[in-house]
Amino acid sequence: MDGTTTAAAEHGERRRVFEFSGTWQEFLPIALTNLLLTIVTLGIYRFWAKARERQYFWSRTRLYDDHLEWTGTGKEMFLGFLIVFLALIPIIGLFFLASYLFTGNSLAKLLGGLILLALYGGLFYLTGVASLRALRYRLSRTYWHGIRGGSEDGGWGYGLEYMWRTILVFFSLFIAYPWAQTRLWNARFNKMSFGQHRFHADATGEGLMARWLLIYAVIAGTFALLFGFVASMSGMDPEEIAMSASAGLIIILVFIAFYIAVPLAFLAYFSAYYRRVAGATSIAGLRFQFRARTADWLLLFLGHVGLVIATLGVGALFISYRNYSFAVRHLDLEGEVDIAALTQSTTRAPTDAEGLADAFDIGAL
Amino acid sequence: MAQGWLYDGTSAIRHEVRLEAAGDDLIVGYTDGDRSEIPRSRLFHVDTRGDFEVYGHAGVDGWRLGVPKGAAAELGPLLPRRRRYGRWIDRIGLWRAVAAAALISVGLVFGATRFPGWVAPFVPKSWERSIGGPILAGLEGRYCHGPGGDAALRKLARALAPEAPDLDIRVVNISMVNAAALPGDRILIFEELIRRAEGPEEVAGVLAHEIAHVENRHVTEAMVRQLSFGLIVSLFGGGTGANLETFLSTRYTRGAEEEADTDAIHALERARISPAGAAAFFGRVARQESRMGIVGRGLSYISTHPEPAERERRFRESAGSRTDWAPALTPEEWKALVAICRTDPEQNGD
Repeated sequence: MDGTTTAAAEHGERRRVFEFSGTWQEFLPIALTNLLLTIVTLGIYRFWAKARERQYFWSRTRLYDDHLEWTGTGKEMFLGFLIVFLALIPIIGLFFLASYLFTGNSLAKLLGGLILLALYGGLFYLTGVASLRALRYRLSRTYWHGIRGGSEDGGWGYGLEYMWRTILVFFSLFIAYPWAQTRLWNARFNKMSFGQHRFHADATGEGLMARWLLIYAVIAGTFALLFGFVASMSGMDPEEIAMSASAGLIIILVFIAFYIAVPLAFLAYFSAYYRRVAGATSIAGLRFQFRARTADWLLLFLGHVGLVIATLGVGALFISYRNYSFAVRHLDLEGEVDIAALTQSTTRAPTDAEGLADAFDIGAL
Repeated sequence: MAQGWLYDGTSAIRHEVRLEAAGDDLIVGYTDGDRSEIPRSRLFHVDTRGDFEVYGHAGVDGWRLGVPKGAAAELGPLLPRRRRYGRWIDRIGLWRAVAAAALISVGLVFGATRFPGWVAPFVPKSWERSIGGPILAGLEGRYCHGPGGDAALRKLARALAPEAPDLDIRVVNISMVNAAALPGDRILIFEELIRRAEGPEEVAGVLAHEIAHVENRHVTEAMVRQLSFGLIVSLFGGGTGANLETFLSTRYTRGAEEEADTDAIHALERARISPAGAAAFFGRVARQESRMGIVGRGLSYISTHPEPAERERRFRESAGSRTDWAPALTPEEWKALVAICRTDPEQNGD
């Protein structure tokens, strides 16, 4: 070590709190054997594949002085899936009963309608329950220094909160979405813990509203463009319209608005959302930060597309890898960690894995 | 003797430990002189982290022991092997596991495609009838019973299937060129098909084909297949229209279609009705449909009965040079059948 490197280390950025050290050469054999085994087992191996993938990602993620560890197993995820699958059979039976009742008289139709309403209501509720349980499961299988996370909460109350907030969002014509989304994030994380420490989240929708309304503005602008186009054409005869250069231009503009501007507006919102909720989440005096900007997200997605095209599809195996590495690269934790004071979680380790979330196709957070 | 590190699972503090083997136990010595003996059977491999192999202790949550790679070799047989793909696969090896799983999967897929054919003969007819009920409920009031029409249909059915007197064959007032066999020995012929046929032999050919589907229980087979693959989901929408549509879009397997044609040709020959009529019908409908495209209103026969050219050839060949064909219906009966909906006073309002 010469003096210049030490000086550079001192004056440059501090050592990152989170660091992902995976390599594609290491991940490729995992991804390929996972794919092979998933195919020959008609998809059943996917649970073990997911466990192996996470085990690799976690083990290559350093937090301060040591690496994370994923202890979830394919077997428990498979069992979780089986349990939910078996529980869904009577629900499918009820759907059949309801559709059969619809062929009967008006009383039967009413009964069928009530059954359907109850079923959709129940599935709606379980979607909320599942999203909390998925988070709880992931934390309970994540170890660092031999300490894991978890939650005492089964998500039953959260399911109700998820329901009423979502219904309010619906009645507000989705304008209240940032409000509900941040409150639900708080509700989930305030029930989680790592070791003996509780997470604390107090995100608000303030500051997100402008980006959310931008989406409305883009959509409204597109419609205004369309209306203007139709109004200006109303006097012309059809052939003239077809021939006019402005018609082509307008169509291109509308296309750009719908397929480029609207998704970009969503991206801008979600990048702000993740920065805000992460910044509002802390544990044991350590505050999370997520620093990805809209441009970073855009590069990530364009990178996915480019990679998949350039490799004729093989690159799709690396999407989860790139997503994970992206998340870790932009994640940070501010404050002093007191390892000596961290003790084991007293929460019960859940056994239901992600069966419910898997059944409803719920993502990571 | 080797140096390692330990997280004891109760606190996050990392302990430096000394490791040695004693029979079937691993002795972990702490710096303060404490020791604990871990039976080899309680240890499991967790991870390879840098220069360390990391082991867990079954029953002690979060207990993690880091053993330097060199020392791991020294402690050798005491330490469990690393897990890779999952317990069963690690035991028999990746390639053998892949081969075994592929074999089982191919067997399962083969079984799944054969399964409907195996169970179909054991499905009671009464079940079928009750399943077919809701499908037909929405068609109530659209059946045509113009004078002489039903009698003409019965005559065709008797000639084609003398041993199946329970067949329930009806003409439906829907302008679609199609015919369908439904659960519970029911056959529906849509009115437009009869109107486009140029003689009773053509209708007889179509009917013989549908009867063969019923007699070979292809309907049941297709139903079992639909049920096991995805009818569950598509039925969630409810409504007779959707149900009927689902049913019409149910494809029989290629084998079932061929079997139905073979049987239809036999039935026609036995009834002395010329298969040339059916051949002409298939050819004409195919040409019409290809001209009008998929959007051609009311034409759906080809989309549910593929390969019309091949079918036309089979029926035409079976007609051969035989000339002792009898007319399937008298001109009066045929006239009554063609007009079965128009002459039905209940259908005229449509």
